[in-house]
Amino acid sequence: MPALPAPERASAPAIRRELWLRSMFDFYATGIRTQIQTQFQYPAATYMYTLGMVAEPVIYLVVWTTIAKSQGGAVQGIGTAQFAAYYIVWTFVRAMNIVFTPYGWEWRIREGELSGHLLRPLHPIHYDLAWFAGHKVPWLVMYLPIGVGLTLIFHPALHPRPLEIVVFLIAIWGAYLIRSLNNFILGMITIWTTRASAIFEVWFLSELLLSGRLLPLTLMPHWVQSLSNWLPFKWTFYFPIESLVGDMSNIELVKGLGTQLLWIGVCTALMRGAWKLSVRHYSAVGN
Amino acid sequence: MLRPVAGVVEVSGLTKVFRVPEREAGLRASLRSLVNRQWREVRAVDGISFEIEAGEVVGFLGPNGAGKTTTLKMLSGLLYPTSGGGSVLGHVPSKRERDYLRRMTLVMGNRNQLQWDLPALDSFELNRAIYRLPREDFLRTRDELIELLDVGDLVRKPVRNLSLGERMKVEVVGSLLHLPQVLFLDEPTIGLDVTMQKRIRNFIAEYNQRHGATVLLTSHYMADVEALCKRVIVIHHGRILFDGSLSSLGDRFAAYKTIEAVLADGARITLKVPKHETSEATARLLAEHEVHDLTVEDPPIEDVIEQVFATEATA
Amino acid sequence: MIRSFRLAALYFRLGALNELQYRANFFVALFQSALAVSVGLVVLALVYSHTTTLNGWKQPELMVVLGVQILLGGIIHATIQPNMQQLVDEVRDGKLDFALTKPEDAQVLISLRALRLWQFTEVISGSAVIGVGVYRIDAGLGLWRSLAFVALLLMGALLLYCFWLILATGSFWIVNMWFLSDLFEGIYQVGRWPIGVYPGWLRYSMSYLVPIGFAVTVPAQALTNRLGWETVVIALGFGAALVVFTRWFWRFGLKRYSGASA
Repeated sequence: MPALPAPERASAPAIRRELWLRSMFDFYATGIRTQIQTQFQYPAATYMYTLGMVAEPVIYLVVWTTIAKSQGGAVQGIGTAQFAAYYIVWTFVRAMNIVFTPYGWEWRIREGELSGHLLRPLHPIHYDLAWFAGHKVPWLVMYLPIGVGLTLIFHPALHPRPLEIVVFLIAIWGAYLIRSLNNFILGMITIWTTRASAIFEVWFLSELLLSGRLLPLTLMPHWVQSLSNWLPFKWTFYFPIESLVGDMSNIELVKGLGTQLLWIGVCTALMRGAWKLSVRHYSAVGN
Repeated sequence: MLRPVAGVVEVSGLTKVFRVPEREAGLRASLRSLVNRQWREVRAVDGISFEIEAGEVVGFLGPNGAGKTTTLKMLSGLLYPTSGGGSVLGHVPSKRERDYLRRMTLVMGNRNQLQWDLPALDSFELNRAIYRLPREDFLRTRDELIELLDVGDLVRKPVRNLSLGERMKVEVVGSLLHLPQVLFLDEPTIGLDVTMQKRIRNFIAEYNQRHGATVLLTSHYMADVEALCKRVIVIHHGRILFDGSLSSLGDRFAAYKTIEAVLADGARITLKVPKHETSEATARLLAEHEVHDLTVEDPPIEDVIEQVFATEATA
Repeated sequence: MIRSFRLAALYFRLGALNELQYRANFFVALFQSALAVSVGLVVLALVYSHTTTLNGWKQPELMVVLGVQILLGGIIHATIQPNMQQLVDEVRDGKLDFALTKPEDAQVLISLRALRLWQFTEVISGSAVIGVGVYRIDAGLGLWRSLAFVALLLMGALLLYCFWLILATGSFWIVNMWFLSDLFEGIYQVGRWPIGVYPGWLRYSMSYLVPIGFAVTVPAQALTNRLGWETVVIALGFGAALVVFTRWFWRFGLKRYSGASA
């Protein structure tokens, strides 16, 4: 090492910096705003996508309503109006928990977007979180007539208490965070193997059965219900839906939010660890 | 706080080896490869060392696959070196420290880092938040860059609606908003038309003048290097063949000189003579003919470089 | 016309040869279709844990419906969807050049050139499910009904092909149709269950607007002995009409595309 330091160039500017919190707020605000603007440019496409999305719960609803009717009006205490309420709120919860798909990581890596993120001092999860949060606004606005239509057709039994509404509004964002984190972790698997899609399929199959996405968890066998209590899936579908539709006590509602918070913490820690390892692997094998 | 450094970029024995799976054609080979994967090593960068001072504009020359992009990726933290090391502005790039990322930028020609569907201005806002730039500083820098590159009417259009050259210009604006002290430019003029190439070159020179930034530029266009770089590093097969000024490149590697003469009867002749025979040939020419104009020139740098690579390829 | 078929056959063969290189994809596709079948069977088990018949259909009969839906899905994912997706992408990127020169045989070419060979594993798994279902129905399967099944299955594939092509032709007007595959996958799930389950307006739209009812339920009816002659006649008539309409709409759209500048 040379002993004498070379003189610094006089014109190198001193870097002033904003508060971290202020910058994060600005980033999210800009990201959300720009996504709202972009999404509103393509209303037809958004409607088509929403239509495809709504098909899933409507099918479930029709099937379970048919079963309920053949069983004398209810299945294990859940009547047609309750099923309608469950699945209509389902569509709202589903719109809220749509996040960046792990299948998109293959594209992300191939197009160099991941490298771009690595060059900048911001964790890419913030992009995904801001982007999809921004998407929610136009989607929900355009979904409103569909929701009204579904209500008129299927006559749901929906009488939420004020606390339930508050918990619901918080829980849908908790679900959003949990699902964003989990999908991000899944997506990183693409850095390690090209056969990641097989793993995704297993994950989404588990989610279908254990989250309340397919049907209310109370209709699943008992062992499935116990299993779902130990996994994050339930907190992305069943809990938000039930908080509005079901008859949870105040304590259960608050405990539910607490469990969501716990899962957010766990998934964040997992995501950070997996990210460190994945970046190291990505940078070692070439990109 | 920076510790005093001798050079802004210090690279020592930097090496990058890739393991690439062997793929053979044929049924038997692919079945065999399911069980027993064969790998071979590609030494993309093989023990290079150099130092760059603050404010220098250095050109990396080399054919495709020479190791230029790999070197830049290692210096920007995208790739981990297999062995050897580098430090930029006192930081180890592969640590990807936030402070380091805020003081450098990597611009890759033909790659977009701006948001595709948004007007460039929105992407700039995102960058402002990402780099935590105070608003007044940001606006000042942004407007200065927009003016320098003359993209005022382009920044409101979605990036996907811009032509290749226009996109490159706004990409450059976006990547300099945080006034980095070190610029890594990987083929910044690739695919652009001649006018656009000149604009980008002028801009880089201007930026270097105004802000004293250190620039490491790779290209296989000689014109880029001739216009911008006093110093040139020639790289081939991952190794440095030459590190010095552009003029001495010709001195060292040029095998011949070109003599152009205009004779009394108006005829123009061009002679290519081996370097050591230049004075003899010139003397003979002047003796045997009536010469009205005479120039002795180095061969174009392209030819020199081509020569260098050709000899290295066979070596 | 013949030349277009031959050209399409060439593309097809090249595509198949290309796919055969990636043997690993076969195992992945097999795994994925096994997973899909498992989900379907689990859902059926759940449904039948709470009831004995669904709209008059018993469990093995519903297995047949599931099998038909998967089988047909395999045909769609292997041959129809990749072609339609490619068409939509090319229209969006302005690369549909050859169609401008020969409008009348372009339809054949764009419909047959792409192939995802390994999706045929779904045809295998779907057939297996149908086989188990038919076996458990235990009512025996006559020659006529089997033939009717195959004919109606092919008719169903043709109907869905027409449906896809009509949607894809829409991209001549609405350039960006990125949602098409997602939309179809979502709506195709309707075919999981016999069309009679759905309330009136939904049933009609899923039969005539999006011909899933005809494509999935009707062949399943053939195998489960619910098929009436009226259904067959309506299905065939509808199919013929749809093919004619699709052809006309495609040529209409193509003329517009080549008339206006790309």
